[in-house]
Amino acid sequence: MTSELTLSVNGAKHQVSVAPETPLLFVLRNELKLTGPHLGCGMAQCGACAVLLDGEEVRTCITPVSFAMGKQIITIEGLPAVWAEKKGLSQADAAKTLHPIQQAWIDEQVPQCGYCQSGMIIAAANLLARNPNPTVVQIKDAFTNTPPSPHLCRCGTYAAIIDAVQRAAKAMNA
Amino acid sequence: MTANTENGNDSPMTTTITRRGFVKIGGALFVSLYVPGNFPLASAAEGQTSLDPTLLASWLEIRSDNTIVMRTGRTETGTGMSAYYAQAIAEELDVRPETVSLILGDTDRTPDGGYSAGFLTGMSNVRKVAAYTHRALLGLAATQLAVPVAGLSVTDGIVSGGGKNISYGKLVEGQHLELKIPVEGKQAKPDPTGWVGMTSLDGFTVTGDPPMKAVSEFKVIGTSYPVPSIADKVAGKTRWSCDVTLPGMLHARMVRPATLGSTLVSVGKLDQKQFPAAEVVTKGNLVAVVSPNEWEAISAARVVATGTKWTDWQGLLGSENLTKMLREYQWGAPAESKGNADEVKAALAGGGKTISASYEQPYVRHAPIGPFVAVADVRNDGSATVWTHSAQSQGLRARLAFVLGVPVEKVVVRWLEHSGQYGRTTLGGDGAEGDAVILSQLTGKPVRVQWTMQEDMAWSSVSPGWVSDVQGAFDANGHLTAVHTALYSPHMFDPRPLGALLAGMPCATSKPGNWIATEWHYEKIQRLEEVYGMPNLAAESANGGLRGNIMRTPGQRQQNFALEGLINEAAAAAKADPVQFRIAHTTDQRLIDILNSTAKAAGWETRPSPHRGARKTGTGAMTGRGVCIMVRSNAYWVGVAEVAVIPATGKVQVTKFTIGAECGKIINPRQLDRCMKSGVAMGLSEALKEEVTFDKQKVTSTNWSRYQILTMEEMPEIKVVQVSRDDKGFGGGSEAANAIVPPAVAAAIFDATGVQPRRIPLTPAYVSRLLKG
Repeated sequence: MTSELTLSVNGAKHQVSVAPETPLLFVLRNELKLTGPHLGCGMAQCGACAVLLDGEEVRTCITPVSFAMGKQIITIEGLPAVWAEKKGLSQADAAKTLHPIQQAWIDEQVPQCGYCQSGMIIAAANLLARNPNPTVVQIKDAFTNTPPSPHLCRCGTYAAIIDAVQRAAKAMNA
Repeated sequence: MTANTENGNDSPMTTTITRRGFVKIGGALFVSLYVPGNFPLASAAEGQTSLDPTLLASWLEIRSDNTIVMRTGRTETGTGMSAYYAQAIAEELDVRPETVSLILGDTDRTPDGGYSAGFLTGMSNVRKVAAYTHRALLGLAATQLAVPVAGLSVTDGIVSGGGKNISYGKLVEGQHLELKIPVEGKQAKPDPTGWVGMTSLDGFTVTGDPPMKAVSEFKVIGTSYPVPSIADKVAGKTRWSCDVTLPGMLHARMVRPATLGSTLVSVGKLDQKQFPAAEVVTKGNLVAVVSPNEWEAISAARVVATGTKWTDWQGLLGSENLTKMLREYQWGAPAESKGNADEVKAALAGGGKTISASYEQPYVRHAPIGPFVAVADVRNDGSATVWTHSAQSQGLRARLAFVLGVPVEKVVVRWLEHSGQYGRTTLGGDGAEGDAVILSQLTGKPVRVQWTMQEDMAWSSVSPGWVSDVQGAFDANGHLTAVHTALYSPHMFDPRPLGALLAGMPCATSKPGNWIATEWHYEKIQRLEEVYGMPNLAAESANGGLRGNIMRTPGQRQQNFALEGLINEAAAAAKADPVQFRIAHTTDQRLIDILNSTAKAAGWETRPSPHRGARKTGTGAMTGRGVCIMVRSNAYWVGVAEVAVIPATGKVQVTKFTIGAECGKIINPRQLDRCMKSGVAMGLSEALKEEVTFDKQKVTSTNWSRYQILTMEEMPEIKVVQVSRDDKGFGGGSEAANAIVPPAVAAAIFDATGVQPRRIPLTPAYVSRLLKG
């Protein structure tokens, strides 16, 4: 049975008419056309579908949309605005801005196929909010041992991700 | 630079200017029809479905704003080819690479087809097309500016000479250039009796010898031009193949048996009250649930799957019995052999010192993070349009045409980015595309089929296990004089579309076979290599077992594991340093140079293995190092692994990996660095963790806790050595790094413990068993 739900995504309110048990991933992708989060394993084992929910990483493939009601959802599409707000940028400047994590991902040339990287960027945002200056060991630990599962990359871009997280940390602390 | 563009009588091209102006696709050389960022919604029902590869217009377009569009049937598989192509085109046309955009993989909008894995051929195609165009443009400019070609130069797409200049865009505005591109090859088509059920998978190759830049003149090749698709990928702006939606489209989820051997007994009930818009669709053993709403399709498919009954087929043999079965199989004659059989057999039987070993590798899986997905729109007129992320669009097109029983002209395959393929669609085999065209045909609507990860890990094709027997003969000085390798594997080229197999629709079957992939670089050693292939595992029973499709660095990854393992064991038997032992058996200076520079970067200590203090017991970490090499596609690779092994638990930690590559002229150093490091990650994953497991009925490693791959925490420090040479052309640099990891890690474990592992994955359970044994 469908219900009318209100979601707060990337700073805007959206009305959706969906079954409340629908995983958030399918609502973001199919109803709101936010296709940054990707379907990977569908069982919270890989991280490709990760978004921030009130600042904490969640796996949207197993999170019912009803659980996200009343919370702030941020996808990679919304990260530039988060940064612009933090830095108090004008709307014109904000429109041209990427989040430093996204910029670091470009500068370090991280993505290969890139399918998992939306989730990796979310994991980086989550880590850097907790620890603005992580060591390599702490980065590895965060991407591997934060529940519910390691963030997996089959192309093997882990070394590039470590470089990019450190570059982003520098930019965000500057 | 200037280039000779005088058209000789033997020139394959003629330059004539006409004023045909805006001609529809295939004829419009210089007027853009390309609208970036939009989904290409044209379908096979509307218009032309292929391009003539002999027309320049099919390949290349110069827009009035001086930007370039190049079309190639090859695709970006994540290794950065879209950057390399842009660099090669920019180099030959004297433009900035930022001005080059690419249309990749669409069968109706690209001319050449071909393997996306065949980067060197693909780059040669676009480079030659750019060079032919450059010559023609200079000819046009000479007329326009009234300056001889020899007096012209080009910078950033502006032709200058005699104090005048004109941009390419202005030069060609509103004009049409009749330029024939010489090609050889044929379009992919079904061949039910052929090797992989298809012909001409390598597509069209651009021939001739247009004037191209010398390596010493390169300005763009050799720079770290960014991979163009990355910015959109990190901003969430990329339109992936999983993002395609069409008006009236149905979402489908498949209901599968345990394996191909099981057949449908009865379909589970669908409660229309609970799932009002869902529908069950079946054909043969193909069962799906479709709905306009994806979540309804998912939920309803789960319920239907619970109630669906299949015959209980038990024809697989269990992965733990794989080696035994491969040993017992009656192999007959080798599928291929290379080398001097008589001399090698005589040397091995000569009474001198010999060495022999057997190596084993399990089934592994390409296992991308994103499971297969496809959208198909099959119309009543027999036309079919398919949106895919296949690495072989033209091959897939032909296969799907065969399944549907329509001419290839009726099928259009459109390519979009998605999760990596790592070789699983190289031969045009399907993922969800077969399912999608069949379901679209049955429902009369566009259908999007999204596989689940569990389904992908059970049903996508797998890279087969191997057993390898290797023998070597020494002379009195401890040098190897002869090596015999015999390599045995189930079928590894089976791209039969799954949907068609299940639905009982036509499949062009492929023949069992195997080939020798190693490139022999120890030319001081006589060799005999023999390779044996058998049908698919359990193919003799019922409808067939596991479909094989070999993965990344195919053949050499498997064959080099055994060969380099033997070389390491032989060096130890000869009490020689493994690096020096290799150098002593080759005269190939390129190999010697990269071996020396990589060993130096790794801080390699010259001494034999095992380490003097090597021990196979205890709870303390034993350390060791090992080396291996590989030569592939004009590229030389060296890997040096350093490990810490805890004998009591069998836990292996790779603490550092040094990788060296000399692949001729390096096109893009930064992306090569990324590919080398990521290749090491995949190689470590294969060395330490990966094994497809199956019982008698089905694949059992169907999620990430059962099919484990490397995590970030397990990444060692990686040191990269790149050597670029101007005198050896281009080599394959993006793919092969994974293959040098397992032999180097195995050698490092031997160095640490004195026990040589001859099987991967080197899991704690296996290593501790090995060390106790």
